[in-house]
Amino acid sequence: MRRALAARAGVSEKKAGAFLSAVQTQLVEALKNDKQLKINGLGTFKLQAVAPRKSVNVTTGEEILIEGYNKLAFTPEAGVKELIEKGDRTPATEEREAVDPLRKLGAQAEEIVDLLGDLGQRPTEEKKAPKAKAPKAPKAPKAPKKKAQEAAAPEPVAAPEPVVAPEPVKEPEPVVAPEPVVIPEPVHEPEPEIIVQKPKQEKKHHFVRDVLICVVILLLLLFVGYFFLRQQLSGIIDSFIQPAQTEQVEQAPAASPAEPAAETAAEEAGSPQEQLTDESLEASGELDENRYPELITIEPMHEASRLAWMSKRYYGSKIYWPYLYDANRDILVNPSRITVGTPIRVPKLSKLQLDTTNAQTAARLEQLRIEAEEACRK
Amino acid sequence: MLTKEFIGLVTEASGLSKKETEQLLTTMNAIVRENLVAGKAIQLQGLGALEVKERKARTIVHPRTGERTVVPSKNQLVFRPVANIKDEIKKI
Repeated sequence: MRRALAARAGVSEKKAGAFLSAVQTQLVEALKNDKQLKINGLGTFKLQAVAPRKSVNVTTGEEILIEGYNKLAFTPEAGVKELIEKGDRTPATEEREAVDPLRKLGAQAEEIVDLLGDLGQRPTEEKKAPKAKAPKAPKAPKAPKKKAQEAAAPEPVAAPEPVVAPEPVKEPEPVVAPEPVVIPEPVHEPEPEIIVQKPKQEKKHHFVRDVLICVVILLLLLFVGYFFLRQQLSGIIDSFIQPAQTEQVEQAPAASPAEPAAETAAEEAGSPQEQLTDESLEASGELDENRYPELITIEPMHEASRLAWMSKRYYGSKIYWPYLYDANRDILVNPSRITVGTPIRVPKLSKLQLDTTNAQTAARLEQLRIEAEEACRK
Repeated sequence: MLTKEFIGLVTEASGLSKKETEQLLTTMNAIVRENLVAGKAIQLQGLGALEVKERKARTIVHPRTGERTVVPSKNQLVFRPVANIKDEIKKI
C-alpha cells in the first residue's frame, strides 16, 4: 500500500508512510470530535452507538447488563458503491443477468413451455443433452419438492456457480445451460409447469367470485334497507296526516266554547286590523266586511310548520293559506319566515270564503296570495 | 467532519505540505477504489480492512400477491476495523 501510494503519487516512501500514519491517528481524532468523517471520493466513516441491553448468563441464569458501545461503520460514496456492486462481473454473470433481470417466474415458465414445444419438433438436439445432464439431474428433482412454483428456479440456481470462479473454462456452461435445464426430462417437466399455472388461475377465479358475491350481497342489503325505510317513512307520514285530520274535526267544535275569552281578545285585536285592511282594500266589497268574525283558535307556530300546513289542517286544503296571512298581517312581516312560537290566529271562514268556484273568492285569494308573496320579497 | 478539515489535521500531524497531503489522499482513494472495484480486499494500515463480499442471488416473495422475483447477486463493501481502533472507539 505504502509503496503503491508512493509510486502513484510520485512521492518518497517515507512521506507516504508519514501520511498513512497521520491519516490513521487523525481519523480516530476526527471521530472522537465529530463522530463522523467524510472523505470525498471514498465515503464516510461514522460512529454508531449500540444501546445497552440486558442479557442472561446462560450457565447461571443471572441477568447481565451489556453496556452500550460505539462501533465504526463505513459507507462508501454513492458512485463508488455502484461501481463496487457491479464489481468485476465476468461475462458469464452478465449473461445470466440478461437471462433473468428480475423477471417473474411465470414468464420463465412460459418460455420453458415454448422451448419444450420447439424441442418436441427437433429430437436431434436431445442427443446433446446428456453432457449437461450430469450436473443438472440432481437439481431437477429437488425443485418440485420444495414448491411447485420454484420449478422454474433451476436457471438462477445453476447460474451462480460461474460467479465464484471466473475462469474461462466454466464460461461455456451457462451458454448451454438454458437448454439442458429443459431437455433432461421432457416427460416430467410439464407437470410442475401446470402446477405453477393452476394455482394462479384458481386464485384469480376465487377473487372474481368473491367480488361478485360481495356486490350481490351489498345490493340485496341496499334493497332491503330501502324498502324498510320506505315502509317506515310512509308509516310516519300516515300517522302525521291522520291525527291532523282528526284534530281538525275535534278542534273545530271544541275551540269555540272552550276559549271564548281568547276569541274576544283576538276579535278586539283583529278589528282594528280589519279596519286598516278595509281602508286599503275597499274594492273587495262584501267579502272583506265580514271577513273574519270568529276565530277557531290561536295556535302558536311550531317548528317545521307553515301557513299552508295549518290551512290544510283547519280548512281541509292548502290553498286557503292566504287567509291565514291576511288574518295575521299585523304580526307577520314575512309570511315565509315566521319565528317559532308566534301565535297565529286561525279565523273561522264562511262558506262563501271557502268556495273556490266563486269568482270573487278566487280573485280575493289570488290577490291575498300576491300580497303575501310581495311581503316575502321585502 | 469534512474532507477539508481532515486534510488540515493530517498536514499538521504528518509534517507534509498541504498540497502533498491532498495529492496523497486522492491517490489513496483512487487505489482503494480500483482495488475494490476489481473485487480485491485492501488493508488500510492501522485502520482496518475493506473487503468486497458477494451477496448471492435470492428469490423474494411479495407478501400480498405471492409473486416471486429473483434479486440478482451483487457485491457489497465490508469494513472491518482493526482491533485496537475498535477498542478505542468503543469508549468514546
